[in-house]
Amino acid sequence: MNIVQLSDSALVSLYISGNENAFELLVNRHKNKVYTTILLIVKDTETAEDLLQDTFIKAIHTMKSGRYNEEGKFSSWICRIAHNLAIDYFRKEKRNPMINIEDNGNIFNTLSFSEESIEALQIKEETHDRLRELIQQLPEAQKEVLIMRHYADMSFQEIAETTGVSINTALGRMRYALINLRKKMTNPQIYDKNLYSE
Amino acid sequence: MIKTFTQNELVQYVYNELNGKAKTQLETALLQDQHLAEQCAELLIAKANLEQLEKGPREKTISAILSYSKNLSLQH
Repeated sequence: MNIVQLSDSALVSLYISGNENAFELLVNRHKNKVYTTILLIVKDTETAEDLLQDTFIKAIHTMKSGRYNEEGKFSSWICRIAHNLAIDYFRKEKRNPMINIEDNGNIFNTLSFSEESIEALQIKEETHDRLRELIQQLPEAQKEVLIMRHYADMSFQEIAETTGVSINTALGRMRYALINLRKKMTNPQIYDKNLYSE
Repeated sequence: MIKTFTQNELVQYVYNELNGKAKTQLETALLQDQHLAEQCAELLIAKANLEQLEKGPREKTISAILSYSKNLSLQH
């Protein structure tokens, strides 16, 4: 079978047995989700790149030392490492804030190549920028569930266990997050933070 | 009789976490309950918007990770 078609679990096994190509495939499969998870928390591209490296280095050592637990999905596992590192960084940063003069303004300021027109790209980027701003404005509990489910690829059951709430609370938070974002995107004037605060 | 669904079940459906019978029942209900279908559509649109936000790291960062792994393998 072609290595590209293998499951994450099979790639992990191959990597542990010494196949570096398997690791490259795993990294390329999951780098965007892991990176976005981190970026939404730390809001700084340089820091996100550093933490992405730290995340994969931690994963490398865990897998190479035989401590990788086969249970659960690789994507959830790697995103959980990323999430924890980003939260640790965010907490430290809150205690010792630093201003990065090279990365002020838009945190998602790199445009990737596309065949779309410049105008279409601009509109798309503006919409995405606005959505990212709105995510940052969500109540903390909603933002946490949204990042874990959307970018860390965790199930609602896993989120409930990680955050110490019931699955219904996690689902409710996600629903409010989606409703809040949708309302704010379609009609900024009618957004009522108190109404959807859980 | 059509089963009544909670808002949380709708979220589970949107994120593909509603299984088997419950999923089929919800899909039947969506065909017959316009309000439920509209609510579901709103959640799906919000989810689709979020999916477009994904960003990637620089190639340099990925190369550094892959090199680290290769060097570690050579040491053992």
